[in-house]
Formats: sequence, structure tokens, C-alpha cells
Amino acid sequence: MSSLFRTVRRRRWAKGPILLFVIALAVFSVLFLNESPAHSSQALVSDSPQDVAAGQVLYEQHCQACHGYQGSGGVVTGAPALVNVGAAAADFYLTTGRMPLNAPNNEALRHHQTVFTGDEIRQLDSYIAALPTITGKGGASPGIPNVEGLCANQNQAPADLAKTDPGCVTLSEGQELYAINCAQCHQAAGSGGMLSGGNVIPGLHNSDLTQIAEAPMVGPKPMPVFSNLTNAQLSAIAQYVHYLHKPQDPGGFSISHFGPVAEGFIGIAVGFALLWFASRMIGNRG
Amino acid sequence: MTTTDDASRTGHDGHDDHVEERIPFGRNPRHFGIDPGDPWPDDVPMDQDDSRWRYQDNPRGAKWAERRVAACWTVTALASIAVCVVYQTGANNQLAGLCWGLAFGGLGVGMILWARDLLPGHDVIASRGNHAISHEGDRIAVAESFGRGTDAMARRPFLVTMLGGIGGILGLGALYGPISSLGPRPHTDLYHTKWGPGVRAVTEQGDPIKPTDIPVDGIMTVFPEGNIDDALSPTLLINVGTSDFDVQPQRVGWNLPTPGGNVVAFSKICTHAGCPASLYNVEKKQLICPCHQSTFDVLLDCKPVFGPAPRSLAQLALAVDQDGYIVSQSDYTREGGGPVGPGFWNRG
Amino acid sequence: MTTHKERQSQDKRYQITKGALDEVDERFSSSKWLVSALDKIFPDHWSFMVGEIAMDSLIILIVTGIYLALYYVPSSTEVVYAPTSGVVYHPLVGHSMSEAYQSVINLSFNVRFGLIMRQAHHWAALIFLAAVFFHMARIFFTGAFRKPREINWIIGLLLWQIVALEGFTGYSLPDDLLSGDGLRVIYSIIQTIPFIGTWLSYALWGGRFPGTDLVPRLFVVHEFLFPLVIVGLLTAHLMILWHQKHTDFPGPGKTETNIRGSRVWPQYAMKAGGLMMLVASVTFFMAGFIQINPVWLYGPFNTYNVSAGTQPDWYLGWQDGALRLWPHWEFRSFGHEIPNQFFPGLILPGILLTLMFAWPAIDRIIYKDHDRHNLLDRPRDKPFRTGVGAAAVVFFIDLTMACGTDLLANNLHIAFERLIEILQWGAFVGPIVAFFLAYRTCLALQRTGTHPIQRPIGGIIYRTAEGGYHTVGDVHAAHGDHAGDNGHAGVAHAGIDKASAAEHAPDPVAGD
Repeated sequence: MSSLFRTVRRRRWAKGPILLFVIALAVFSVLFLNESPAHSSQALVSDSPQDVAAGQVLYEQHCQACHGYQGSGGVVTGAPALVNVGAAAADFYLTTGRMPLNAPNNEALRHHQTVFTGDEIRQLDSYIAALPTITGKGGASPGIPNVEGLCANQNQAPADLAKTDPGCVTLSEGQELYAINCAQCHQAAGSGGMLSGGNVIPGLHNSDLTQIAEAPMVGPKPMPVFSNLTNAQLSAIAQYVHYLHKPQDPGGFSISHFGPVAEGFIGIAVGFALLWFASRMIGNRG
Repeated sequence: MTTTDDASRTGHDGHDDHVEERIPFGRNPRHFGIDPGDPWPDDVPMDQDDSRWRYQDNPRGAKWAERRVAACWTVTALASIAVCVVYQTGANNQLAGLCWGLAFGGLGVGMILWARDLLPGHDVIASRGNHAISHEGDRIAVAESFGRGTDAMARRPFLVTMLGGIGGILGLGALYGPISSLGPRPHTDLYHTKWGPGVRAVTEQGDPIKPTDIPVDGIMTVFPEGNIDDALSPTLLINVGTSDFDVQPQRVGWNLPTPGGNVVAFSKICTHAGCPASLYNVEKKQLICPCHQSTFDVLLDCKPVFGPAPRSLAQLALAVDQDGYIVSQSDYTREGGGPVGPGFWNRG
Repeated sequence: MTTHKERQSQDKRYQITKGALDEVDERFSSSKWLVSALDKIFPDHWSFMVGEIAMDSLIILIVTGIYLALYYVPSSTEVVYAPTSGVVYHPLVGHSMSEAYQSVINLSFNVRFGLIMRQAHHWAALIFLAAVFFHMARIFFTGAFRKPREINWIIGLLLWQIVALEGFTGYSLPDDLLSGDGLRVIYSIIQTIPFIGTWLSYALWGGRFPGTDLVPRLFVVHEFLFPLVIVGLLTAHLMILWHQKHTDFPGPGKTETNIRGSRVWPQYAMKAGGLMMLVASVTFFMAGFIQINPVWLYGPFNTYNVSAGTQPDWYLGWQDGALRLWPHWEFRSFGHEIPNQFFPGLILPGILLTLMFAWPAIDRIIYKDHDRHNLLDRPRDKPFRTGVGAAAVVFFIDLTMACGTDLLANNLHIAFERLIEILQWGAFVGPIVAFFLAYRTCLALQRTGTHPIQRPIGGIIYRTAEGGYHTVGDVHAAHGDHAGDNGHAGVAHAGIDKASAAEHAPDPVAGD
């Protein structure tokens, strides 16, 4: 009997660290090594004439009524000119379902699914990117940011990053930039919030890396523009927000990271309520 | 069998046939009253047999009740061992919670079942007695005892008055110093930030900025160079574009025009409770404070348009130094709506 | 029933116990007190156990708190997070933070069972205050604060306030972004006190916010000063309760001069111990499975960052809500100013607390009742008091909701401006509506005499040969299984007419 216990116990002791190591490895790979999803594996924008032509067709069918001929802007509709907005803006508005418009007064209230397919969006992006050339107005417009990957070594301070390991970013850099530029509206864990006049601040948990990097460049109203951020900084923010999709929650169920109000509700509605029923069962109910 | 309050007070109602037996639960009146002056304790029930328990007449039920309790406590034992294993294998928070929850829960449920099924305890009745009120004689005695002292003191009314005054002065003397030394005097500290003539505005990373670094409809948090941690200094640069920004006469020349834009600077510290009011709604050109939803209209010099904030955010006068970087013309001034931050008593 | 063998072992155990107790008695003359302690009767209505839940949570808080204090570093010294061993939380690497925040991060990630202790501590605090609120509501609605128990009501209110402040100081200790903004709000409220405000805030913080003195000071307050006061006040609270004896609901056989319940030893003690274990069980289940206050996501505190959804813990939500709902007034003259947050931050809570402290006296005047009471009121029998209580509860809920306006507005898909306006009106209209609804409901219930959500109390009264009365089928008989039980004869009581009359007659004052 006692020997049986011993073997069982020893096996557990031996298995535990291995199991844990495997789990830790899996978690680590999911968190840090996985290729983060971008919304298309192929190039997001191209300068091939076919794509530009196809994009023009789509533009004339779906966009021209508001945004005007060759993106010159709508005089009556007030739709902005698109000549110099660049592919990043086109890509952001189309992939997030903000365009075509769902809620004209509140861009954050958008279609849940994109209206166009990935290919169509690429064609439209290409057309918008080519507009300065087509119309001969304006100069080069900002392209779709190329999100850099996470560095293998995450133990670097943000300041050392640029020197030691160019071409990749750390979560630490992303956290610092997110905290000062984004958290005040989108909440520390990216759960979203509220602006004045009923403008919704969307949560960031459904966005992909490219969209997050595009948003600060584009500044989809009512969000301000942060086009002073470099590509590396945008990448760091994007990677950190992507980390926030599934951050480390060692403590258990995260209650969507909504903070003290939600925690208080759970504390009363679950914790205290259970004990309330317990005391009803223990005590006299007369 | 009749029990009345009076009977329970005196403790004598003639159940002498039990005298020889040791009666459980300390309910035997004969142990009290040996000293004739000893009253029956008030809230102790007398002569009511509450020794019965739920399964007393049901041995089979009692057996099962015992097994139920034992099963609960077995859960506790297993969970307690398991929690040690959890610790050794990396202390996963969920497993630890599960084990500890089960351990305490098993013990608790077992105790409650034991109490319910196998321990005696029924409602019994006892007298509350007269705890809160003493006999009139005792009350008179207290008043007289007290009066002996106060009468003697009252013969020296001057000393009584002085004792009161001295108490107050001693309180002041004992507390003023220790409390004052907890922190410095504020003097005019709240009127000042670390901005001043020619102080460069820098980012969180410490980089100076040019007006063109802030795009139209862009915002940026800046600090007086070298003083990132000062609580009153954080300032928001906002490029309001070509919007119709309302420039007050005394604030002419405080903004920095850029190609297609106009950079203005406002204190980030809310005039309500001091949180950083930094949610910028580009569409409405409003700044919102996330703590209490005070809303400021940037185009109207950050006048509060909603919420509890009573005053506009203070505006900082900007300039550009010879290298093209943004500097402040001065500290926040009265003309700019300063001092910054929430109100205080001697703000005036 | 008992066999010879059992009797023998009983006697042996009795001899041993008595020997031990004699030793104690020869030193403390304690026997009589111990009898009254062991045989003391406690009514065990379920609602009386809510206070016990609070006490049990406090015990969990003390135990887990001592453990946390072994790891916490009460220091604002700036350090750079660069751990060289153990689990590293990568998103914070290289950030400058206070030592306090770093110690909390290390406790959460690098101390085995550190996180569950932290979470248990926080959940126990939330449950503690929930129990305090419900306990307080029970006392209020049933009139348990009346003479002779006014002092315990006041001690209880003091406990509530200090426990809430203790919670706030604990919430602030990690020095994360969320709690730092909470401290900023408190600083600006203290700053508004006429004459001494700025001086006091500089004294407490050791200078301009945030400074480096506050964290160690908060630590002393949270770990030493407030726990001492709480334990002291709680001891007084319980000693007074013990001395004055527990109140009870009116019922068959119960009078102002008797007390009905079960003895402390053994059943009641075992049940109370079981409830304490259940409190621990629920707390640790929650600590294991529901994450609370993930400070590593909020980031270290600095003066210029803020997160949307900045709120205090729920029990201070009503005060934060008041700050949000208060209109944008401030008063300025003669070179001085009474700032906006002075009114919702200090005056409003001050008025409300004064009303609550004074309520036993107010209640005495309203009902012209200077008697001592041991039997509780049923809420319906005092419609005015119940109405006031309902109004207070609605006011409290309205303000608490206001503290989550951004979250609520987001989830309800309305503008926060509208929501705040609704709640501003709600703070006036809600209590009035609640008062009249509660008042009318009480009057209606008085006519039916039944419990609003329970089967009617009723039964057949038998007169026994000895002349006593005996009720069959009342709720107490239905609860246990003591039909035919000797002890039940105690219920057969001359006071039964009085008791049932008290139960059904509307209150003469409240009824008008």
C-alpha cells in the first residue's frame, strides 16, 4: 500500500514540472512566437495596373456617389476627398467595416462584417494609393504600415531596443506607448469606453495587427491622429494590443478586464449571494 | 411543564426528581442558588430538555448522517493533500483555488451537517433578565458617588474652567508640531508648474518636438524638459487644424500655426479632481476626463461644457526657439486660466 | 437509551473536563460566567448571520493580509523593472516604477500562492463590505438600533466608515495606474477643505502630489492604524451584543423579556464555525477562478497617464458617483474659493452620515418611543421608517451606478451625458418614488399579515391539560422536527396572545 502511494506520488512529482514546462512552452509560443494574424497573407496593396483598374471599377460602383469622381470629395455629401489619404486609410476603413457607412454620425458603430472581399479591398486600396498619380494632385500618401514582429528576446528595456535589435519590437515598448497614447480612451486592457456625445470608443479585441497600426496614422474620427509615431512605434503598439487580446490572466476569469465596477458586481452577485443563500439554509427561516 | 418568565427567574419549580442524575448541557438548577443570593443567570435556559437531536430515534439515519459528514471531511483531507501537490507542481492559481475552496467547503458543510443531524439543539427559551437597568438603589448610589467628587470640584469653579482651557491648549501644543512636520507648507506651490520662459516641451521619451510633429487632429502629451514626473505640468498639444479656434484678446500669439493647422496647448490636469483629462473627441473637438466625465470644448478655450468641472483647462503660451522646437513663453498664468488643476481654498 | 458503557465513558470524560475547568476556576473564578457563555441562547434567524459573514471575512482579511505584508515593499523609490530570475512579466521590462508596484508584480508572478493570497484578500474585502451593507440594512429595517442598542448602531457605522477607508488604502497600496488616479481624486478633495485644505493635503502627502512619502504612510495606516481601530471597535461591538443579548423577531412565545433560540454550545458554535469555513471556501474559490485587479495590465502609476474606466472599488462607488453627478458649481469671493468637489466629496457624505448617526434619536422622536426593545419590528409595521430606508437604498444604488457611467453607457448604447442626466434626476426622483412605493406596500402587507414571499403563518392552537398553549403547524414547528418534543413545551406560553397580537396589529403611529 505504502509503496503504491510512493510510486504514485513520485510519478506525479516527476510529471508535474514536465507538464508545466510543456504548458509554459505552449503558452509562450501562443503569446510570443506565433505569427500574429494579418487580414491577408498576400500583399495588401499593389501597383499592378489590373488591380488599380479593378479598384477603379469598384470605386465607381460603390464610392463615387459620395466621395466624388476620382476621390475629389463630395460637395453635397460632405464626404472627404480621398486623393491624398493613402492606402492605409482605405485599408483601415474598408477592413474594419466602417466603409461603406453604417452609422454616419458615429464611425465607431460599423458593420460587423466587411462589405467587400479581401481581393476587392486590395483592389480598392491599390486604386486609392494610385490616385495621386492618376489625378496628378498631391504627393506620395502614407502606405499600409508593415508591422514588425516581436523580438525573440523580450527582456530588453524600450530604450535599448533601437540599438540592439532593429527590425523587431518588444511588448514593453508597446505597453509604454499604449499607456500614454491609447489607454485613456481604449482602457488599459483595450476594453473600450465612451466619448462625449454618444461616440463609442471601440474595444480593440477584434482588430488585427495591421488595423491597429493603421488606426493611429489614419485617425478615424472621433479618434485623433498620431501620425508622428514611427513605423517601429506603431508596430510596438500593434503587438501590445494584440497581446491584450489574450493577456496573461493567471488569476482566472478576467471579467473582460472591465475593472472595479464589474469586480464589485461579481463580488456581490456571486460571492456574497452564495453566502447569503448558505446562511438562509443554515439559519432559521421563520 | 409550564414555564413562565417568573419561574425561569427564580429557578425553582420542583423538578427535584432529577437531582441525582447528571443532566447534560448544564441546565441543572441545583448548581445555582446554593448561595441564596445567587440569581439564575439570565439568558441560560432552565429546565428545558433540548438534548434531542435530529436522528436520535433513527439509528439508520444517524449512521448515514455520520457517513455524510465523514464524506465531506474526506474531501477536505484529499483537497488539503492536493494543494500541497499543486504547490510542488507550479502553484497554478486555479488548481490552488479549487483545492482550497474544496478543503474549506468540505469542512464547513461537514460541520453544518454534523450540527444539523447529530448535535442537540432546539429552540429553548430563557429570560432576558433586566440587564440594561439596575435597581433604583444602585442608580442612586452611583449618582451619589459621582456627586461626592463633583461637589468637591465645583467648589473651585476657576480651576474647572481653566482645566478645560488647558486641555485645548495642550491639544494644540501636542499636535501642531507633529502634524505640521508631516509635510511642507504649501505657500504658493500650487500656483506653479515647471514651465517657464523658454522651457522646451518634450515627449515622454525626452525628445523635443517641432510644431509639424503634431498632425492636424493629432494630440500629444508633453512635459517641461527634465520634469516628467511633476504632477501639475503635463500638457496636451492639440492641432485643431483650420477649425475656428476662439483666441481671446489676451491670448493672442500663444498658438503655433502650422501648414493647414494650429497647435494649441492646454493643461492635461482636469480642473475638477485632477485626473488627466485626455480623451480627445476629434469630431466635436472636446476633451473628456475619464474620471468624472467632465467635457471641455477645445475651440472655446477648453471651457467646460458638461460634467462637474467648474473652470476651463488652463492654456499654455507656446513659442518656437531658434532650433525650431516648441517652448513655453512662461509658466501658466492667470490670463491663461491658471493655476492649473483642481480648485483649493486659497486659490481665490 | 444510553448503555452502561457509554455512561461509564461519559462519566470519565466528565471527570477530566471538570478537573480541567476546576483548575481554571481556581484562578479566574470563571465557572458561572462559562456556564452562561456555553448555555447562552442565540436566536438563529438566517438574517442574523450576515454580520457573521462580515466577521468571518475580516478574519480571512487579517490572515491573508499578514501574508501579503511579508512581501509588500512600502516604498515609492523609483526602480527599473529588470528581473533577472523567475517569471518575468515582459510588457513591463525596463519601465520605471515604484518599489511598491514592483513588489506587487513579483508577488503576483513569482511567489507561489502569492497571487491567490492577493486575490483572496481583495475578494474577501469586497464580500466583507457587502456583508456590512446588508447587515446594516437589516438592522435599520427591523429597528434593531432602538434603545438600548443605539451605541452599537453608532459603533457599527464607525466600523463601516473605517472599513471602507481601510479598503481604499489597500486598493491604493499597489501604486498602479488605477489606484494612483483614485489617490489624485482624494488629494483634490482634501485640498478643498476651507482654511486648512491645502495645508492638510501637503501634510498628508508630504508635499505636492504624488510625492514619495505617501506609500509608506498608507502602509502604516492600512497595516497598523486602521486594523487596530477595526479590531477594537469590533470587540466593543460584539461585547455589547453579548451583554445586551441579541434581538429577535416577534413570534409565538416570544416576548420583550424572554429570548428564544439555541444554546451556543455545541450546535450553534458548530454551525457558526461551519459558516466561517464556507466564507473561506467561497473566497478561495473566487480567488482561484476569478481574476481581480490585474495591476500588471494597468501599469505603474505616473501623473500623466490614465485609463478609461477609472473607478474605485464598489463600496466607495457612491461617493465617486456623487462627484460625477454634482453640477459644476464653485464659489469664489474675498480671494478664497470653495471648490466644486468639496460638496459631493465632503458635505454630502457628511450630511448623510450625520443623519445615519442621528437616526436612533430621529426614530425616537418620530415614533415617540422611548421604551427599550428586544423584539424587532417587521419592516411593514413601520412604513415610514421602511420608506426612508428604501429611499436611502435607491439613492445609494443610483450613486453607485453613476460611478460606472462610462461602462454602463457603453453597454446600454446611450451617451454618457444622457445617462448622467437620468441618474441626476434619479437621485431626486428615485428615493421619493421608492419611499411612497415602500410605504404603500407596507400598508398593503399589514392588511394581509403574510410574508410577501412566504407561505402564511398559521396553525392550530391547542390548550393542554396543564393550561398552557401549544401551536401546531407554525413556521417554527415546520422548520425543525420537534413535534412532540419536550423542549417545545417552552413555546406553550402565556404570552402567546400578546405575541400574535404584536404580529398582526398595524403600528398605531405608523398607520396614520
